[in-house]
Amino acid sequence: MIVKSFQWLTLLVALLLGAVLSLHVGGRADVGIADLLAVITHWDSPSLSQSIMVDIRLPRTLIAGLLGINMGLSGLILQAITRNNLASPSILGINQGAALGMTLAIMLPGFFPIADEAMAVLGALFAGILTFSFAGGLRAKVSPLRLILSGVAVGAFSFAMVRFSFTLDDEVSRDVILWTTGDVAGVRWHDTPLLLALSLFGIIASVLLAHRFNLLALGEAASQGVGANPHITLVLGALIAATLTGISVSVAGPIAFVGLVIPHLCRAMIGSNHRQLVPAVALGGAALMLYAEAFSKIVITGEELPLGVIAAIIGAPYFVYQALFSKEMGL
Amino acid sequence: MGRFLSLMIAGFTFIASTQGLAAREVQHELGTTTVADQPKRIVALEFSFVDSLAAVGVSPVGLTDDNKPERITKEYRDIIGNDFVSVGARKSPSLELIASLQPDLIIADKTRHSSAYKALSAIAPTIVLDSLTGNYQSALKQAQVIGDAIGKGKEMTARIAAHKARFEEVKAKVATAKKQGRTFQFGVVSSRGLYLHAPHSYNGSLLQALDLPLALSANGEGVSYESAYVKTTLEQLSQINPGVLLLGRYSTPALTDDWADEALFKSIDAVKNDQVYYVSGHTWARLRGVVAAEVTFDELVNAMDQVAKKDAK
Repeated sequence: MIVKSFQWLTLLVALLLGAVLSLHVGGRADVGIADLLAVITHWDSPSLSQSIMVDIRLPRTLIAGLLGINMGLSGLILQAITRNNLASPSILGINQGAALGMTLAIMLPGFFPIADEAMAVLGALFAGILTFSFAGGLRAKVSPLRLILSGVAVGAFSFAMVRFSFTLDDEVSRDVILWTTGDVAGVRWHDTPLLLALSLFGIIASVLLAHRFNLLALGEAASQGVGANPHITLVLGALIAATLTGISVSVAGPIAFVGLVIPHLCRAMIGSNHRQLVPAVALGGAALMLYAEAFSKIVITGEELPLGVIAAIIGAPYFVYQALFSKEMGL
Repeated sequence: MGRFLSLMIAGFTFIASTQGLAAREVQHELGTTTVADQPKRIVALEFSFVDSLAAVGVSPVGLTDDNKPERITKEYRDIIGNDFVSVGARKSPSLELIASLQPDLIIADKTRHSSAYKALSAIAPTIVLDSLTGNYQSALKQAQVIGDAIGKGKEMTARIAAHKARFEEVKAKVATAKKQGRTFQFGVVSSRGLYLHAPHSYNGSLLQALDLPLALSANGEGVSYESAYVKTTLEQLSQINPGVLLLGRYSTPALTDDWADEALFKSIDAVKNDQVYYVSGHTWARLRGVVAAEVTFDELVNAMDQVAKKDAK
């Protein structure tokens, strides 16, 4: 019990430190975490530094955290419903599908009668459906290898289409590249409500489904045996994962590896009970993205690296480590 | 005998002179290319090359217009007419279309077309110049290279001299906008990003040549497309704090419109003192060369007049 508490404390401290770091650094060296404290004491007449903290840094940090929650949870859900620890939004092609939807929205503004975010969610859903149907559909047995291969195929196809847009006009391609590498430099408070609402929905839905995920982990027959139809779990899970991925991608591009790495790390720390894994992954995902957000502002002075690049730099080595040394990959 | 000799001499002279005219060695970024003396069917793969052809009144048979005819502006069309074929986007011109035009000279860009140099050379003699990442001074040099390559070296020299005279006039005029400690900055803004043009970029070097101090400090020589155009967040812009901001707008509303109500944006000197001017982003940022620079001059002089007027108030 003490060990468990210690694990939770570690996650919370990591999150808090990440938030402080992410708020402390930015384009102006004269604005720091002290201004956040000053905001609390002098709310009525904020100075310029304080309004930078409130108008620019806070929404950015919040969004980075929410993205981490969404990507982490959708990775966890996908791993649970596929019973495959290699599953993640980027490996199943869902990230790239969302990117394709979003790219189409950028390339052909006004052509689609729905919002850019909806295009991303649709793209995510469509790619997910494709991957699952190539891998054997909703039949009882989906082989892990086939699933991964289908995901890679769908992802590669989608991203090839995204890359096609790079050959277009400089300005269009610059917009697409900027956004596909995960850029949150321009976000403000008005970008937060939808993401916040969907993150809350994601957390609540995952908590509600946690028991079903646990049953699914015992095998489909066992799950069926206690009255939890595994197909319903699979469909619900896939829908939630696609929605969380789609909305995140629409905000900051396809950020890879968070959805893969965080569930693994949390499983190693907390164990495999999804009732605990869901909050742990939310905390861990948010923490990782906060560090990524902070580093994206530090690495090159005077310029910013896109968030997705930093997330990949942090996430990719862990993936390689897992692939080389983990027995749970199931390949 | 005397007549025969003189005929022979005349004949040799004729052969020698036609041989001298027949071809010309042109040195460029990727080597030396032999170009026919008076190429008649020229394909230009960057706007600045079209500019150089227009500067001496030569019409290309083919050019890249990014599949947007309006990108070949009126200033060019007034000179080169409309009788050319679009060979597609500067980034990905159609080799098939270029070949079908049976050109005798192709002018390509180092950044965009180096990888296609072999394929282009197989179609026609190709010279490669650094338009995209080149600065103002190199744009003028390239204009001369193009002038020489098409057998209009003298005309180009005269045209550039006229341009330089114009440049000096402009330099004197814009000096009225200068003030102790005031900096100037050009950038383009779309709905997703603000890109400031660094000192080593084309526009950065142009403003510097005109003796206007830039807000963005020089850090290293520009080699890449990315380093010449610096993506800038609002926080960074406020740190750079330009005194006069010249912006080329690529979309409406642009990011700077979204920032309009933010305290941080309002705290920037250029915004605070109402010294933000919107200029033609296309002409400033995409076009370059003597013809385009003179349009830029007009817009710049206009803006700097207003700067000076606001100072006088």
